Amino acid sequence: MSLEAAPVEVNAQVPAKPVKADSPWRIAVRRFARNKLALAGLIIVILMFLICYIGPLLSPYNLYDYKLTDKNLAPNASHWLGTDKLGRDILLRTMLAGRISLAVGLVATIITVLVGATLGAVAGFYRGFVDTVIMRFADIFSSIPTLPILIIMGTVLSDLKVDPSNRIYFLMLMLGVLSWMGLARLVRSQILTLREQEFMLATDALGLKDNRKIFRHLLPNTIPIIIVSATLSVAGAILSESALSFLGIGVVPPTPSWGNMISAANNLIDFRKRPWLWVPPGMCILITVTAVNLIGDALRDALDPKMKK
Amino acid sequence: MTKKWSVLVGLVLATSMVLSACGGGNNNAASSNAPASANASNAGESASTEASASTDANDPAGNANGVIKASDMSLLPASAAARKDTLIVGMTAPQGIFNPLFSSTVYDNYVNDVIFDYFITVKADGTYENSLADSVEITNDNKTYTYHLKQGVKYTDGTPVTVKDYYFALKVYLDPKYDGESDLTLAKIVGSDEYKNGSATEISGVKIIDDNTIQIDVSDYDAMTQVYLGTIPFISEAYYGKGFKKGSLDSIKALNTKPLGSGPYVLSSYKAGQEVDFTANDSYFKGAPKVKNMIYRTTTDGTNLSLIQSGETDMDNITVTEDNVEELKAMGFVDVNILPNNGYGYIGMNLKEKKFADQKVRQALTYGLNRKDIVEGVYGSYANVIDIPESKVSWAYTDEGINHYDFDTEKAKQLLDEAGWKVGSDGIREKDGEKFVINFSATADNPVVDALLPIMTQNYKDLGIDLKAETLDFNAIMEKADKGDYDMYFAAWGLTPDPDNTVYITNGAQNRFGYSNATVDKLMAEGRKELDTEKRKEIYKQMYQELNKDVPAIFMYQRTNMYGISGRVTGFDLSPYKDFDLSLYQVQLQQ
Amino acid sequence: MLSSQVELGISIYKPGGILMRQYIIRRLLQMIPTLIGISIIVFAISAMVPGDFITAKNNPNMTAEKAEQLRHIYGLDKPEYERYFIWAGNMLKGNMGDSLQHKQPVTEVINTYVWNSFIIALATLILSWVIAVFTGVFSAKFQYSFFDRIVTLTVFLCMSLPSFFIGLLLIKLFALDWKLFPVSGMTTAGHNDAGWAYIKDVVKHMFLPTLVLTMLSTGSLTRYFRAGMLEVIRQDYIRTARAKGLKEVTVIFKHALRNALLPAITLLGFELPALFGGAMILEKVFVWPGIGQVYLESINMRDYPFMLGFTIFLSILTLLGNLLADVLYGIADPRIRLK
Repeated sequence: MSLEAAPVEVNAQVPAKPVKADSPWRIAVRRFARNKLALAGLIIVILMFLICYIGPLLSPYNLYDYKLTDKNLAPNASHWLGTDKLGRDILLRTMLAGRISLAVGLVATIITVLVGATLGAVAGFYRGFVDTVIMRFADIFSSIPTLPILIIMGTVLSDLKVDPSNRIYFLMLMLGVLSWMGLARLVRSQILTLREQEFMLATDALGLKDNRKIFRHLLPNTIPIIIVSATLSVAGAILSESALSFLGIGVVPPTPSWGNMISAANNLIDFRKRPWLWVPPGMCILITVTAVNLIGDALRDALDPKMKK
Repeated sequence: MTKKWSVLVGLVLATSMVLSACGGGNNNAASSNAPASANASNAGESASTEASASTDANDPAGNANGVIKASDMSLLPASAAARKDTLIVGMTAPQGIFNPLFSSTVYDNYVNDVIFDYFITVKADGTYENSLADSVEITNDNKTYTYHLKQGVKYTDGTPVTVKDYYFALKVYLDPKYDGESDLTLAKIVGSDEYKNGSATEISGVKIIDDNTIQIDVSDYDAMTQVYLGTIPFISEAYYGKGFKKGSLDSIKALNTKPLGSGPYVLSSYKAGQEVDFTANDSYFKGAPKVKNMIYRTTTDGTNLSLIQSGETDMDNITVTEDNVEELKAMGFVDVNILPNNGYGYIGMNLKEKKFADQKVRQALTYGLNRKDIVEGVYGSYANVIDIPESKVSWAYTDEGINHYDFDTEKAKQLLDEAGWKVGSDGIREKDGEKFVINFSATADNPVVDALLPIMTQNYKDLGIDLKAETLDFNAIMEKADKGDYDMYFAAWGLTPDPDNTVYITNGAQNRFGYSNATVDKLMAEGRKELDTEKRKEIYKQMYQELNKDVPAIFMYQRTNMYGISGRVTGFDLSPYKDFDLSLYQVQLQQ
Repeated sequence: MLSSQVELGISIYKPGGILMRQYIIRRLLQMIPTLIGISIIVFAISAMVPGDFITAKNNPNMTAEKAEQLRHIYGLDKPEYERYFIWAGNMLKGNMGDSLQHKQPVTEVINTYVWNSFIIALATLILSWVIAVFTGVFSAKFQYSFFDRIVTLTVFLCMSLPSFFIGLLLIKLFALDWKLFPVSGMTTAGHNDAGWAYIKDVVKHMFLPTLVLTMLSTGSLTRYFRAGMLEVIRQDYIRTARAKGLKEVTVIFKHALRNALLPAITLLGFELPALFGGAMILEKVFVWPGIGQVYLESINMRDYPFMLGFTIFLSILTLLGNLLADVLYGIADPRIRLK
């Protein structure tokens, strides 16, 4: 990234030039593969996916099972992570929840990043009218109160008789669509600085097309900010999902998600006496966020044009 | 970006707390009842004054109701013991409308009830007794009511209370610009229509005989007329009437946070969202309150238990769960009062749809649902499955000739077969080419829905019915219900002391099911017109038997409310009908 | 050449300053159509949301006629476009109307609650920025050190649990177990303190909510500053500065930090509406009498005059915050040419 307001002569070292066949992206892929922590992060995420999708098949319980005589059991041999207030197996629910939460967290984040970074970069690069339009659009978006919009959305989906189990896709979309503005502004302001830098003169001199300038040379420099935004948004999306579900755009009980599992333990007594209700989903979110961040950090290093191999 | 999301989470989590209040199955006692009792001042809470003598059917309903006494007062926190002349009551924040004419939440009414007085006041059994009224005379045709006001009662600013103030309140209620929720046109006072919708400047049916006597003519009467007339507040015309003209109520509303009444307490300070402070009115006409200072302090569900424990509040309305009851008992210095809630949870069906229009199908759906497990899963032993839409403590309640629809899958299957719904090749029942699929709309983050959906889905699958559930905002469900664009939803109703309502009568204002039953209509009309409670009991018994057989909705449960009250506070007279605020003036602090 | 950075701040007083003024005026003018757009969209949303104040009340005793009367008095029975013009016209005159729930002018309701939210937000803003700058810088300076890892983990931990949960945790520890701070509220019930005693009482009560909010916002800020700092300290001019023999503290705080904070300006723009917006969920957990929970309630109860009024109020702050960020950004980095 180049936030430097450094004078010209110091900054003489122009970022990795687009030498043929060794594009920044390709270098990046190679660097990424060499980063052990990043691989660890990637493996964790894949493992989480595998456990969440295969685990429930091996469980003796199923989603609709309940047993009031077994309610609020602490972890034991038949319920490894205990049971909730309806006597449902927490382990099974945590795994099933992961299917929803992982998908929501990652998909919503990808949408946010794609929309936010692209619009921010375009606005910053072209400035003037394009900038004004995109940024005023962002202003309007960030002024609209989210809650009523989501209520309307939920009602419309219900009126259109969209199958409740498919509404989760709308949820991912909505989460992405409602949260690109912050990233767009951050990216835009960086691009505003970057586009004035010397290496951009070089791209001019080379006669590169605009989209090549933006996506090959400007955006990679904003990766650190994007990575931070992305890690923050994975956690945000996972927790927001439970909130949105209440409004009819997400999962329907008894389908669990990490967010709604934690929310179900929203009193001091569960908090104190029954940590098995909230620790498993909380830990899962923590592990996911950490893993995403490891990947993110590695991505940044890999994409940093200023870092030598 | 993340900020925005966390705000969103906040939004909805908090929303759902609020929504569940209306959506039923919520645990916060006062709020689900709020709409109903909010208008205690008039609109239709009733049991006639005459009824008072005859009804004593108030054995506590459920298994777990009653009082669990404090076991060890030595555990009382020092901070509470040191507060010798101050009582602190924890509750949800009022809106700051401290005028009974305009208030519309139960919490504002808690404030108003200790400041303002009425001709009559509710008793623990749900009937009424005279308060400001010395006596009431009613003509034989039940159309003329003469109220005699007690002598010598004064407002807390020293000015005398007169029936002119009553008339003043009446005029405000009937003002064309009146935007509160009370509906006094229901009292059918002669001349009220000419005043409200015409150019009359006085209400012709009201005659002020002297400062302490007022006579009111009504064009028609029913069981509630006396309650309508008796629960109009006395608000000082000298204080509130400055600047009042017909059609302009702003000057009255401007005094909302500076109330003046004749009640046991005087509001001394109000900090919005935090607390309302009162001092005792030593010249209260029923005797000076024994507790000098009283504070309503804002609390919320998450921490109200902790506040009692730390001694920061003396009492609060605590969600009834097994955990909370245990916790309160363990504190040792707290009396746990568990009372039946005035309300019930139900599953509404769209009776305009062919499948639900069939009585046999509705009965089958009730038999086929394990209501006991659902209720137990949510409330443990602190709620009962019900089969008629009436509180077990009401005088109108009956168990005679009532079918209990105990969970019975075979019976349900048989009824469905009889109704012509045959199991198809995919295991789903069908009739005339239509599959038996139910789209269920549920308010989310509601403890009942959390237990209801898994159990119901499973139960109905066994019957060969495919249940598709969705969660929606409470208002969205109500709008769908009003439009008739739904299959099934779960919600709850608050109950008034009087059994009269419009939920089950043809085209009734609250009849969202599209239910129509000539027998019920007839009996409801009769019950409304009858003033003798014994005769009304008989009428409503027949009506409930009919509803029980016809199943207009799947009745689910009546739950309980709980007050945790520090053992140092004694003298409350609590019942499902008489909330804590009405006996505050009798309460004592043990030293 | 390094000193040239110090001069940057002065450039607005030079010819560029006139451009800047023009830019600000132009942006302020742009706010007019933007606000009109926002008002139309927000109003349309409020009209489309299912239910109104009457249905939200769900009063079991209300007759259909009474409901009609109330809708007429509240002006809910008119066609939407007409209602929009009435409302927008009143807004232009500075009249936001009366809150249906509070039966009070919207401005008065806002005034009653907003300052309570403001003091917590302000304290949070100051604390979280100071903490985030320091932890961000040290995390970056000692990247992958033990300190950095602890900070990172703490930040992620705060993010992985919903805010109400962290609130409950702190209440349990600080208020119930250690009895250091009150459980909830803004003042001690029944105390009518004035002056210094009052301030002390409020500060004691605001400690926990401020702490939670600070934990939440410091987390993300730290990540942004750390990222910014990591970039800057790899730059050649920092190496040059060190090579010149400048002290490490000077290098980090004088030369590097200044540039690392550039993206923070954009973040600062977001803080303006946040200062007045309230914290819905934490206000509820800590029973803090702020505007956030009032706003939330107005949405649930379909109290549209308050909901619309407060939304527009926040929109104006959002627009101003973004403008402020752009202007500051231009000042801090004069190479930027905002057309």
